[in-house]
Amino acid sequence: MITDAAYRELQETLGAENVSREPAVLDGYTWQPFTDILGLPDSWCRYRPAAVVLPGSTEEVQEVVRICGRHGLQFKAMSTGWGAWNAMGGENTVQIDLKRMNRILEIDEKNMYAVVEPCAVCSQLQAEAMKKGLNCHIIGAGCGSSPLASATSLCGYGWSGLTTSYSARNVLGVEWVLPDGEVLRIGTPGQDAGWFNGDGPGPSLRGAMRGFMGACGGLGVFTRCAVKLFPWPGPEEPQVEGLLNDVTAEVPDTHAMFLIAFPDLQRWADAAYSVADAEIGYMMCKNAIGALVATMMPRGLKELTRFAVFKDILKTLRYQFQFLVCARTPREFAYQKAVLREIVEECEGICLDVSKLPGLHDAFWWGFVRAAMPPLIFRMGGTFGTSYGALEGFDHPAYQSQEGARLKSQYTETGRLMDDLADNSWGGIYEGSTGFGHQEELYVYDPRDSAQLEAAEDYLAGTLVDTAAKKLGPGLGFAGGAIVAEIFGPLIGDYHEWLRKIKGAFDPDNVSDPAFYVSPDPEKLIAEEMANRPGMAQSLLSVMGEEDTP
Amino acid sequence: MALQDMERDMAGCSRCSSCKWIPHNQVKSWRFAQGCPSSTRYSFHAYSGSGKMIMGLSMLQSRSELNDDVAGIIYNCQLCGSCQVSCQVYRDDIDLSDVLLELRAKCVEDGFLILEHMEMLQSMKKEDNPLGMLKADRGRWAEGLGLPEIGGRQVEVLFHAGCRYSYDEDLRGTVRGTVSLLRDAGIDIGVAGKDEACCGGRAYELGYQGEMRNFADDMAGRVKASGARTLVTACSDCYYTFMYLYPKNGLDLGVEVLHITELVGRMIEEGRIEPAGEVPMRVTYHDPCHLGRRGESYKEGWSGGDKLLRPVRFKQSGRLGVFDPPRDIIRALPGIELVEMERIREYSWCCGAGGGVLEAFPEFASWTAGDRLEEAAATGAEALVTACPWCVRVFRDAVTERGMEMKIYDVMELLASSLGGA
Ligand code: SF4
Ligand code: SF4
Repeated sequence: MITDAAYRELQETLGAENVSREPAVLDGYTWQPFTDILGLPDSWCRYRPAAVVLPGSTEEVQEVVRICGRHGLQFKAMSTGWGAWNAMGGENTVQIDLKRMNRILEIDEKNMYAVVEPCAVCSQLQAEAMKKGLNCHIIGAGCGSSPLASATSLCGYGWSGLTTSYSARNVLGVEWVLPDGEVLRIGTPGQDAGWFNGDGPGPSLRGAMRGFMGACGGLGVFTRCAVKLFPWPGPEEPQVEGLLNDVTAEVPDTHAMFLIAFPDLQRWADAAYSVADAEIGYMMCKNAIGALVATMMPRGLKELTRFAVFKDILKTLRYQFQFLVCARTPREFAYQKAVLREIVEECEGICLDVSKLPGLHDAFWWGFVRAAMPPLIFRMGGTFGTSYGALEGFDHPAYQSQEGARLKSQYTETGRLMDDLADNSWGGIYEGSTGFGHQEELYVYDPRDSAQLEAAEDYLAGTLVDTAAKKLGPGLGFAGGAIVAEIFGPLIGDYHEWLRKIKGAFDPDNVSDPAFYVSPDPEKLIAEEMANRPGMAQSLLSVMGEEDTP
Repeated sequence: MALQDMERDMAGCSRCSSCKWIPHNQVKSWRFAQGCPSSTRYSFHAYSGSGKMIMGLSMLQSRSELNDDVAGIIYNCQLCGSCQVSCQVYRDDIDLSDVLLELRAKCVEDGFLILEHMEMLQSMKKEDNPLGMLKADRGRWAEGLGLPEIGGRQVEVLFHAGCRYSYDEDLRGTVRGTVSLLRDAGIDIGVAGKDEACCGGRAYELGYQGEMRNFADDMAGRVKASGARTLVTACSDCYYTFMYLYPKNGLDLGVEVLHITELVGRMIEEGRIEPAGEVPMRVTYHDPCHLGRRGESYKEGWSGGDKLLRPVRFKQSGRLGVFDPPRDIIRALPGIELVEMERIREYSWCCGAGGGVLEAFPEFASWTAGDRLEEAAATGAEALVTACPWCVRVFRDAVTERGMEMKIYDVMELLASSLGGA
């Protein structure tokens, strides 16, 4: 609930048209996919915002934050706001929707960065960057997502990760409205020295700001940030017809897509290490065969999976990557292809040149470069979830793929989750020769079917238990809320305690909703989890060795 | 069909927000990436296609209530269909445009009415048009042309001018020129004269669904009386009504329905119309929503419950609307140069007039038109050409309001000028 006085102040600050507490409007911020991570019976998140506001500038964000502080309200900011981690953590939370702050403020071609506001999305930034021969990192959520949110507040890789790495590596200077309403500019903007560096001259607080996973709205509001841009060896204004799978495009002669597949997981991982060492390729990503077929012909997959023989045939391609070469010159193109073939041969794989498959190549080429495909994963079942996915040396993600497939097949084989061949791991290698990468295990279900939703929740709880028990590293289960930090923290250098200290230092009054970051009061959090989702909480607590704790 | 029949569609929304944008594969710039006028203008998620569906679900599940504010959000929407196209790039199981229609029907059913829309309805009931004009004046646009009228001799083609072209004096010249050139090209064409009436589609879109049936029955009666085998209209809203709303509601006119650009495009291809006069102009073409993506004919035949199992051919993806015939006509004009905007065809930006917005929320209509005019200007075109009187009207008014130089034409005006008629 928001008091009339607080509401009036918000209206006076932003204009009445930019503030709402109309329940139907608020429900637009309450409905989210991926509520399996919250153990909910449908896509309605547990708490509706007390109000929603649309600030148009950093100054207005500061004012909103101060008003919340004065009136004992929490706030939570969102950019495009996709996913249950945007949900409110309690009743008295104001949703800050940053949609009006949507500009690309600068593209610095020479120093290869762009300064963006929260609601400019990746497709816009990429289109503008390409005009200058550059490209940006696009998180796995796809090009409808916010580059600022990815860089400052979340953690993810994307198709072009081989070239552009993952979220945390892409953030440079940041403008940050702290939970008390002060503005902090970190990195070079902190010294009025431009936006080109996240560390200095100027305060270097990237670690505190986002840590590894991002604070997911729990540590203030990011109103501007600079993100890295990377050389784009392709057309400045790609000529593309069609909307998705039907795309035809003028693909440069020096670009080509390959499907490379290997006989087993070890040789698949070896090939990834070799590619990273050789520094070839623009994109290397595993989109599992099940996922590809599910998105291209979902009804077809449902039919095919009824026959074991077809499943076996499709599964022969389970250890594969899609690999995109984007070269500037024919000579470089020939070199990269030759190296790729050598690596594939060494690892006893096969290399299929998809550019020889008319009809598909253009759609894959642009689909992966633009990263427009992610919402297609909703096509088969209505929604999906993701699990495992710790960012580690690549042998480890390979092992996680195996774990994911093992656990998930118990659900797909019994029809509790949709049969996507239980090989829906997605991810790849990045960070060059460090061999760093990840694999997520996706799972597909219809959230409108309560049995499937329940199975998804059950599976997800199982993956967290498995991850903790086998010490698989912090995966994407982080999205499950602050409780996850309490589970994994003790296993990983007590990072949850460090997060708590950062939270305490920057937000002593806990104004910025920490529901998906870290709780200042872990005991209260655990009690709430026990009340809200006892089944999942019990499983998690068992991992923590606290089965008996109420 | 009622809102509750769309519950699975609404509950399927994954809140990906694709419906706010043109399909991302077609985003070519920061400036012209948005697809939904309503969400772009008003920003709250509730204004997007997704937001409206979520509101619908929320009301259906008694989490919230319909009131004047919520109805205001529902009606601040041109029913342009951009959200449906972008959603269906990814989804097979959500028919967003149908949800938007049912939300309006719920508003009417529950008594949350928009004054301006009630006036339109009143006028439709009394004078057979939503513009507050006299029925007796309906046929005046064709006076002096000597066209056969129904009730007289039978004709091959019945021309339906539509309300806007019948009454808007500024635009009448377009349809007068059009029917003249068709007749000169040997088409046996007739009109309904003062007996022509609204197609009724506007009533359906405003939420007064039941009202459309009377207009549809009248329409069918006129078509029958004319003896025509082809019904041609110059209005994209009427075209959408004939192609989508009538069949969706089980109404069959029993004749081939063509938009004027389809007929004329065909005749140019066959050499029956040969534009010879130079039209030395750089122009861009605006796809009217209700001729383009929403003009796609209704895809009958799917009656299954779970749309996840619905074959793709039953999806109203918007890709089979009328996009090429108007462009073909423009390209056939000697001396003209056609340059495309960034948002075209099924991912076009709306003119702003549709869904009752022009009448109830003129400032929003003008804002939407203004955005399109900026896009047109960015191509370097000196004229924006379209194929719908509602688009022409709102664009001309927006140009005047803004003091812009951009000229606005219906494609048939340019053809007539090439043929020496205007
Ligand atoms: S595109 Fe479709 S699924 Fe995505 S948010 Fe919009 S309505 Fe929902
Ligand atoms: S019909 Fe047009 S204006 Fe209405 S919600 Fe959809 S895209 Fe927006």
